[in-house]
Amino acid sequence: MARIKKKGTSGQAKNFITRTQAVRKLQISLPDFRRLCIFKGIYPREPRNKRKASRTSTPSTTFYYTKDIQYLLHEPLLNKFRDHKALAKKIAKSLGRGEVGDAARLERNNSPKLSLDHIIKERYPTFVDALRDLDDALSMLFLFADLPATSTVPPKTIALCQRLCREFEHYLITTHSLRKSFLSIKGIYYQATIQGQDILWLVPYKFVQRVTGDVDFRIMGTFVEFYTTLLGFINFRLYTSIGLVYPPRFNATSDDKGGELSAIVLEGKGVDDAISIQAAPTNGAVDADPEIQQRVDSMDLTTTTESPHNADQGIEIDQPKEPEISDFDPTVDVFTPTAPDADILPQPSQPTSDLALLFANLSFFLSRETPRHPLEFLLRAFGCKRISWDAVLGDGAYSNNEFDPSITHQVIDRPLSVATDGNVNGGEASQSGKTSGSRMPGRTYIQPQWVWDCINEGRLLRPDLYAPGATLPPHLSPWVKPTKGAYDPSAPLAEQEVEGEAEEALLEEEVESEHEREEEEEELEDEPEKSLASASGVDEELDNHGMTIAADEMDVDSEASAPSSFGGFSDNDLALASDAESDSSATRHQRELEAEAAGVAFTEALKPAGGTPPKGILKNSSQTEADMKKRKALARRRREEEEELERRKMMMGRKKRKVVDTMLYSNARKDEEAGKLRAKRRRIERGRGGGLGGR
Amino acid sequence: MAPQRGDSKKRKAITRDSPEADEVLLSDGGDEEFLLDGTVSQSEDDSDEEENDVYSIDGGSEDDIRSDEVPSEDEAASNEDVKINGLGTVHIPQKETEDGDLEASNYTVTADANGNPRYVYNSIHPVYDSDDSDAPATTNTIGNIPLSLYDSYPHIGYDINGKKVSRPAKGEALDALLDSIDVPKGWTGLTDPSTGKPLELSQEELEVLKRIQMNEVPEEGYDPYPPTVEYFTGKTEVMPLSAAPEPKSRFVPSKHEAKRVMKIVRAIREGRILPYKPPAEKEEEDKEVKRYDIWANEAPRPDHPMNIPAPKLPPPGYGESYHPPPEYLPDRAEKKAWDEADEEDRDKDFLPADHDSLRKVPGYDRFVKEKFERCLDLYLAPRVRRSKLNIDPESLLPRLPSPDELKPFPTGCGIIYKGHEGRVRSVAVDPSGTLIASGGDDGTVRVWGLRDGDQRWSVKLGTDEAVNVVRWRPGTDTRVLAAAIGEELYLIVPQLVTAEREGPGADITDRSRDIVDAGWGYAASNSANGPSKKQPAAQWIRPASTRLQDAGVLVKITLRKTIKVISWHRRGEYFATVSPQGQSHAVAVHTLSKHLTQLPFRRLKGLAQSAQFHPSKPIFFVATQRTIRSYDLSKQELLKTIQPGARWISSFDVHPGGDNLIVGSYDKRLLWHDLDLSMRPYKTLRYHKKAIRAVRFHQGGLPLFADASDDGSLQIFHGKVVGDLMENASIVPLKVLRGHQVRKELGVMDVDWHPREPWCVSAGADGTCRLWK
Repeated sequence: MARIKKKGTSGQAKNFITRTQAVRKLQISLPDFRRLCIFKGIYPREPRNKRKASRTSTPSTTFYYTKDIQYLLHEPLLNKFRDHKALAKKIAKSLGRGEVGDAARLERNNSPKLSLDHIIKERYPTFVDALRDLDDALSMLFLFADLPATSTVPPKTIALCQRLCREFEHYLITTHSLRKSFLSIKGIYYQATIQGQDILWLVPYKFVQRVTGDVDFRIMGTFVEFYTTLLGFINFRLYTSIGLVYPPRFNATSDDKGGELSAIVLEGKGVDDAISIQAAPTNGAVDADPEIQQRVDSMDLTTTTESPHNADQGIEIDQPKEPEISDFDPTVDVFTPTAPDADILPQPSQPTSDLALLFANLSFFLSRETPRHPLEFLLRAFGCKRISWDAVLGDGAYSNNEFDPSITHQVIDRPLSVATDGNVNGGEASQSGKTSGSRMPGRTYIQPQWVWDCINEGRLLRPDLYAPGATLPPHLSPWVKPTKGAYDPSAPLAEQEVEGEAEEALLEEEVESEHEREEEEEELEDEPEKSLASASGVDEELDNHGMTIAADEMDVDSEASAPSSFGGFSDNDLALASDAESDSSATRHQRELEAEAAGVAFTEALKPAGGTPPKGILKNSSQTEADMKKRKALARRRREEEEELERRKMMMGRKKRKVVDTMLYSNARKDEEAGKLRAKRRRIERGRGGGLGGR
Repeated sequence: MAPQRGDSKKRKAITRDSPEADEVLLSDGGDEEFLLDGTVSQSEDDSDEEENDVYSIDGGSEDDIRSDEVPSEDEAASNEDVKINGLGTVHIPQKETEDGDLEASNYTVTADANGNPRYVYNSIHPVYDSDDSDAPATTNTIGNIPLSLYDSYPHIGYDINGKKVSRPAKGEALDALLDSIDVPKGWTGLTDPSTGKPLELSQEELEVLKRIQMNEVPEEGYDPYPPTVEYFTGKTEVMPLSAAPEPKSRFVPSKHEAKRVMKIVRAIREGRILPYKPPAEKEEEDKEVKRYDIWANEAPRPDHPMNIPAPKLPPPGYGESYHPPPEYLPDRAEKKAWDEADEEDRDKDFLPADHDSLRKVPGYDRFVKEKFERCLDLYLAPRVRRSKLNIDPESLLPRLPSPDELKPFPTGCGIIYKGHEGRVRSVAVDPSGTLIASGGDDGTVRVWGLRDGDQRWSVKLGTDEAVNVVRWRPGTDTRVLAAAIGEELYLIVPQLVTAEREGPGADITDRSRDIVDAGWGYAASNSANGPSKKQPAAQWIRPASTRLQDAGVLVKITLRKTIKVISWHRRGEYFATVSPQGQSHAVAVHTLSKHLTQLPFRRLKGLAQSAQFHPSKPIFFVATQRTIRSYDLSKQELLKTIQPGARWISSFDVHPGGDNLIVGSYDKRLLWHDLDLSMRPYKTLRYHKKAIRAVRFHQGGLPLFADASDDGSLQIFHGKVVGDLMENASIVPLKVLRGHQVRKELGVMDVDWHPREPWCVSAGADGTCRLWK
């Protein structure tokens, strides 16, 4: 007979360890344990059965995997923590004696330095692993780069974060690996693809961050410590992989002047001379002869079209050059199926090199109210070389002259004044009368959203939609993939609607509007100045609704033509009669509303100009009957479907049925959400139509 | 002594100046002796000079030592004073020139008894700084011997210098003196042993003695607790105590120190000692940015199932845009709901907002909080691998044939057969499909026309007991009905209405009668052969009453216990009855042609519930409460024990194919057994709310089965058995037939299928039978 197994010696009881046990085993304090966990990336687990995992009867909250903790036991950082503890005791002792100088010396000279290098290697055995985990790191570091220095966040950390972030951005600019960006209410999302890994991070808008009391900066500081180390290594690897020297030279004077990206100067590995990403002259360009400038620009254009890293700015990075022989075309060929019944595999639609040179031929000027840093980064990352801005925005611009004729696009984000409107039309802006409000002829003025939408779309969009003062089209997230049943705001509503949904909604609306109309009509009746004739007509209509249509025709005509706007229509009845039938519902609605505005009763307005009324609405009773039939049929079908579903579920096991139930539930929720959005859109569209009609 | 010779000589010179000093010292003992002393010493003055000199050398040497320690002028001065005092008698004039004022206060001159001037000195206070030594000045050195030894001499001993101490005056002179003067103050009448003089004590001395007697401090006015006098105060004196000039050493640099300094200087010059340099802080900055490729030799690590990477945050949706489509903006109700909801309950952590241009976008005030929460999630949130099924739930649902394909099946109530009083316990459709037999609590067996619902025939078998079961004999050529009431079993050939007597119906009746009657006499002949030892299992007799015989009841079989179940063999030759209370008689198999009853089981485990013949093989199924056993009749052995898992089996039926069973149980379960598959149920169906009373397969080729339950409903299932062994039976619920009313917790009592049509007939506790089609 097998030996009776002792309880708690194998399985879940052995695999999991509570947090208290772990801390005791490691013999460190809880804050140290937390730091260690953050550094080593150790996280609690959820045992399948909590009761089996814990040896006590109290419901323990946190479980760690035992092997994780065992692995921590051999961590070199543990010794550092102990050293630190010993030092802290010494410092406390000397502070207790009042020897502040001693304490400072101890802290300065003897504090153990934590080195996280080995942890980086352990956690990310390959470079791709590190890239995969970069999302959180970048979001965090970009946040810290924007934070003000406080006692909890030392300025050195902030400076380091800024530097690392800019270095990373420079890499993205040089390699054109930025793919998408999105302006959200939280901040700006960026997505880059490096070595096949999609990295998505969020950068806050430049505002002072609100810090609440429940945010513990020590924990965040620990994360930042780890992330800075990680990003340092990643930057090194990225820079060296494209033949750049790491760390790049940091130009402190430019940084002081607000140079941001241009404060970092990239250097090629083989070449001795420094390569600046920035064209050197800033103020010189102002005085340059326009003709020379033009020629330079044209040269610029030719070079940029040839290679992504253009030579005129002195960038000579020993990168693999694009092959000159056309036999080795690196682009992906498009496969077309020869037979119709074959599967069609998805292919990349656009070669990335085209996307990288999206703005290559353009020259931008950023007005001073625009966010400079994100725009500069995006434009550079998508191939733009000449970005000028107002001197207020800081150092590093291609030019500070707003009236440089070579500028093709100006990003502007300020309310339109009447004077500028006039200028746009006037076109000619005299050299003498240059003010920052005036418009340059031949220049495209756009709002910042244009840049983002162009990038997400992968092509240059119509700038007139984004003109200053124009109502911008909605800014859509580029990461939402259209799925079946989900609501897609870019697609027309009719395509997405479930069968019968629109009719139902319409019916409901009609019921609602009917109520409204009746109320309105009652109001109209109450009005004393209403002409008697029309009032009687209304009464008649109310009494025998739909029955006296033919008889009323003549009256209606006269009344409908009474408003001046309708005067012209009454003459050519026949022509309009044929039109009326093919009238779309929108125009019909519009006409109704117009008529309402003019003070004509509903049913009269239904037969607006033509002698024959539009059938769809006038044959109200018959239509409602048909609708009712349709609805009944729909309801019956739905009921049948439900019954069928029940019948099928009856034949499943209990567990499987639960799974299906949850899936159905979540699907139903999704559908409901999409339905809500569709309903809102329907209402909005109706409102818009109404608004147009009212005008 | 030799090295100090010089010094002592110096001192000697001083001593020599006053050779009389010794005398003074000697006479220090008492004031009264001065006079006598003086007289004695004067006489011997010259002779003593030499000795004095020698002595003073020694004494001078002692003095020298003292003078080294305290080279004070004061002492010298005081010494001189004393000397002067001592020399008073000799050199008074000299004395007076020197220290006139001192002399005046020191003593008084009185006349003594002899009229000589007497110097009375003030008593010396024994204060600390007096030069009175502690040791008593022993003037007489004779030691402790009686003075009487010196009676014959004019002296009474020798002083320290060896000079004779003369005897004090005695006798007449003294007597006379004494007579002349009265007793002086302080007279004691005692004689001082050391001096031999009468001991007199002064008033002060007496008071001292008195105080000693009183145990007080002898000194007068001594304050044991005087206020402290600070000898050294913190105040710097205007005049220093010592006017000694600063020693030279204090102005000359120390050579030793110079040596030590030179040693250090030399070490610094030679570079053995380095000056202190604060550690540079530059290297810190260098460490912050790593300068090497950590992934130089990267090796991918195989993925471990326990390693769960942190899930990435989902990308933002349309609603998060700074300028979303208008349909994403919340209306007032949604906004209010969001505001009112607890922060944890919100499905989104932000409220979509529309800004018509980028410059109007405010900072997001929860940014830091969100990032912090993400940090917390990363290191505090337990991670679990959850497989999410991203599939259409349709694909999980079993593929059922559509109800149209499953047709025909009964869908509603066709005909209601009314007539029974009380419950109808059993119902059976005859093999031809034209008649229905039913038996109920009123003790009657009735036969109904299936299609018209008319009662064709009825007979009352008993009054006090209910007809528990009615079953038609299989086979269309005969029309034999078996009905059980109590422990009696009747074989009936119903005499139907006359219309059917002629024609084909008449033949059937005759044939049926023949078959039933064929066994008469067989038992008798058997019993003639060998008289049975035991009582036979059952008695086959003709019913006694002619009424029954006329109605067509031909055979009455009496068993021991109440019969609950009758089941016919497919050929109609055998039929089995089950009477659950019967113990060893529970299951009986009857042979119709021989009118023979056998009891195949000596003992059964548990109460027998039901029994069935296999439709094609010689196998017999017997259900007890928990299990169903199948027996091979030819080999007479147990084949299988089927365990449906039900608590109490109510009924079961064998599929016409023979490999499948359905079992109904009182604990609401309907179980489908595939005998090839397992002894356990293949499917357990629980769709009834009450116990299941009866289950029945359709025997005419349609894949249907039905069950009847106490909840008043019948359920019709599609149960298709495929010949292919690889494919399991497909069971589809088809229809719930409701119509019977529940009476006293009982609903539908029995169910039977039409032999060909998809119709079924049920017997209800409400006294009706119903045809469902």
